[in-house]
Amino acid sequence: MEGISIRISGANGDGIESAGALLSQLLAHNGLYVFGFRGYQSVIRGGLVWYQLKASNSRVYSIGNGVDVFVALTMDALAAGLSNMGENGIVIYDSTVIKTTPAANAKVQFVGVPLMEIALKSGGSFIYRNSVAIGIIGKLLGIDEKTIDIAVGKAFKRKPEEIETNMKVVNSGYDFPINAKLEKKLAIGNAPLEKYLLNGNSAIAIGAYAAGCKFYAAYPMTPASSIMEWFALHEPLGIFFKQTEDEIAAINMTIGAASTGARAMCGTSGGGFSLMVEALGLAGMLEVPIVVVESQRSGPSTGLPTKTEQGDLLFAIHASQGEFPRIVLAPRSIEECFYMTAEAFNLADRYQCPVILMVDLFMSEHSESVDIDPEKVAEERGEIAAASDQQTGRFMRYKITDRGVSPRSLPGSKGLAFVASSDEHDEYGSLISDVLAGIPKYVELRKKMHDKRMRKLDTMLDDGAIGMPTVVNDGADVFMLTFGSTTESATEALELLKSRGINAGLISFAYLHPMPSDRVKKLLEGKRLIDVECNATGQLAKLIAMNTGMVVRDKVLKYDGEAITSREIADGIANYVGKV
Amino acid sequence: MDMLTQESYKSDIKPIFCPGCGDYGVDAALTKAFVDLQIDPDNTVVVSGIGCSSSLPHDLKTYGIHGIHGRALPVAEGVKLANRNLNVIAVGGDGDGYGIGAGHFVHAIRRNIDITYIVMNNEIYGLTTGQASPTSMIGQKTKSTPFGVIERPINPLALALASGATYVARGFSGDPMHLAKLIGGGMKHAGFSLIDVQSPCVSFNKLNTYDWFRKRVYKLEDSGYNPNDIMKAYEKALEFDMDPNKFPIGVFYETTSPEYEDLDVTLKAGTAVGWNAPKKEEVANVLNEYTTEYA
Repeated sequence: MEGISIRISGANGDGIESAGALLSQLLAHNGLYVFGFRGYQSVIRGGLVWYQLKASNSRVYSIGNGVDVFVALTMDALAAGLSNMGENGIVIYDSTVIKTTPAANAKVQFVGVPLMEIALKSGGSFIYRNSVAIGIIGKLLGIDEKTIDIAVGKAFKRKPEEIETNMKVVNSGYDFPINAKLEKKLAIGNAPLEKYLLNGNSAIAIGAYAAGCKFYAAYPMTPASSIMEWFALHEPLGIFFKQTEDEIAAINMTIGAASTGARAMCGTSGGGFSLMVEALGLAGMLEVPIVVVESQRSGPSTGLPTKTEQGDLLFAIHASQGEFPRIVLAPRSIEECFYMTAEAFNLADRYQCPVILMVDLFMSEHSESVDIDPEKVAEERGEIAAASDQQTGRFMRYKITDRGVSPRSLPGSKGLAFVASSDEHDEYGSLISDVLAGIPKYVELRKKMHDKRMRKLDTMLDDGAIGMPTVVNDGADVFMLTFGSTTESATEALELLKSRGINAGLISFAYLHPMPSDRVKKLLEGKRLIDVECNATGQLAKLIAMNTGMVVRDKVLKYDGEAITSREIADGIANYVGKV
Repeated sequence: MDMLTQESYKSDIKPIFCPGCGDYGVDAALTKAFVDLQIDPDNTVVVSGIGCSSSLPHDLKTYGIHGIHGRALPVAEGVKLANRNLNVIAVGGDGDGYGIGAGHFVHAIRRNIDITYIVMNNEIYGLTTGQASPTSMIGQKTKSTPFGVIERPINPLALALASGATYVARGFSGDPMHLAKLIGGGMKHAGFSLIDVQSPCVSFNKLNTYDWFRKRVYKLEDSGYNPNDIMKAYEKALEFDMDPNKFPIGVFYETTSPEYEDLDVTLKAGTAVGWNAPKKEEVANVLNEYTTEYA
């Protein structure tokens, strides 16, 4: 898993994200796997932004533990980035603006380059400093100049008037002599290893599109907003998008749309999800299939809006009053963001219930080179009533069935009208909550209706629709337990642990609720387990205890807002097993 | 097709309204409007929230969604936006629409989505047995305001006008034939229509009774009123605030303005958003925006 980590950092407004994206694209094109992530703050100008990526000839699972090439555009960026440097890494700082030469450091090589001066001399403005940096990095990695020009051309496709200046500036950076040596080497190729480079939110949006999602409603909230922006931009594909007045409206509109048969989704972060909670129960009670994306960020309350966390797992599983079936999924990679979103729509339709797709800021916003195959998306629309299904009189929308699922009818279908009601109702959908409540026959019926709905949980487990956790290294001495985004760092930690003489394995969950408890128990029994999560309480461990009775006491937890690294995981595991 | 009558729209569920409740009049007026327009019940969705009046969809043979408190409008908007070929009617009370749902009220109006919204306004919370509502009058004593209401009531008509409403009407459930015309007018209107209905609560509001209304109500159309002038509409919407003896009903304002559905990139095609997943090649085309190849 050898590779090179590159970090470029400055202030908001310095074009750090575009530089990171361009660089990622360039490396991905040149035969490398790329994994990139942007660190930013809840400010529009100033402050600290960084983009860090790791590129390697084999699959990459993180942004790397030590930076090999670091370009700092501001003093703050330089100060904040130094602690992340790897052994003998190169620090390139803009000597036009950073006048204090950093104190000598045996670990790293400092190179002052007048990035601003170069940018201005080549016809750019101060914002072109990032392009100078791209030229310098390209040269250090041994990528040929022509390929870089093509990458620049592609990156500025939408602003063709800026291509020429950018190429000039990049070339000046490329030609600037750098007195430093990059010890690690990458085999630069001339064809991509993987077809695409995209982040989790894009993968979710495209997964929804592939599944036939025709309706997306949302209110802006980091880190889910880029899903909304994807749908806004892609409306011409025939997917309706609505920005709503709040998240309450977003989910209620989604329920309305889904009631017509359209595949509908809404998305938000924890704060917005909190507002959606009552309507989540409405979808459960009306048995309307909807998909809700919950991209977690650091909480509680407003928390750290631009930082990551996995603190909402138990909340999502238990949100809303009363009991109703729901499904909670947590994709563990960019590919799974695509495939599981598509799967979420199938599960919602088959079991007529809300499906919550749990990701987090790190999963939503990090980019990876991946291959995605639309052919693998299957469409299952569940049971829809046809006019011939109607027996006598009114349509029995909530017919009590063995599976708990009752064929639904869609408005516009002749003779199949019914009222979907949030109150407890009979098989037709008529209320048993007012003048019938408490009458013995209806006391019994209430129980039957509740059982009918809840039976869907057993049905989906019996159908095998809810997948088991994935096990890596079955014969390991110790197993990490993860869900969602921490899985990739844990995958990388496996090798670090191996190099320390620890035979570690990984059990990762993408299906969180409902849980096939007996089978999970059987899988976990007799294994040495250490829980790895980005929250303070070990919510996955609690969920496992709740479902299986098995208590996992050892935990490696992180909740400072940054994604957990493979080194932090490996250190934590080594600490428990005694080989530090 | 046979002529549809009021019976064609009535379900076999008996309304839960109290004897004498104003909402019976709304029930009757709505089905009358359906008959007048020969609305297809299978192509109609009536959406409600929570409250006495929100049980109304159960009394009908149309499709219905009886949702949660205050959220009838966003659910109705979702139905209409996903399938603009459906007739969508939202119903509910003053607490539902002007209290907990007030935010949605303003935004649904400014979007001008083709929905008819009927608010059964009784100036009280009935189903929770008699607390003050957002339209309860100053001084009114209720279970939650034993010393009298001290907040100014919401003026739904003025609020609707200020939000950019394109059809604003007020009816009185004591005159269901007149009300049916207002509802029918709203259903025919292209865009959002608000019909605020003064619908007395005989159990918990002893102030705004049928008699109280009958003493004050007059029809705008009888006074030669022209509903195309927004300044006049504001004047009439505020009339009762100025003169507590005058309570106009009728169409306050009507104007022509594009529907949301005709402006939206996707919906202006004129059809429902539909059902089918895209072809695999179409998905591949979208993925190509993220390609690592340099074409």
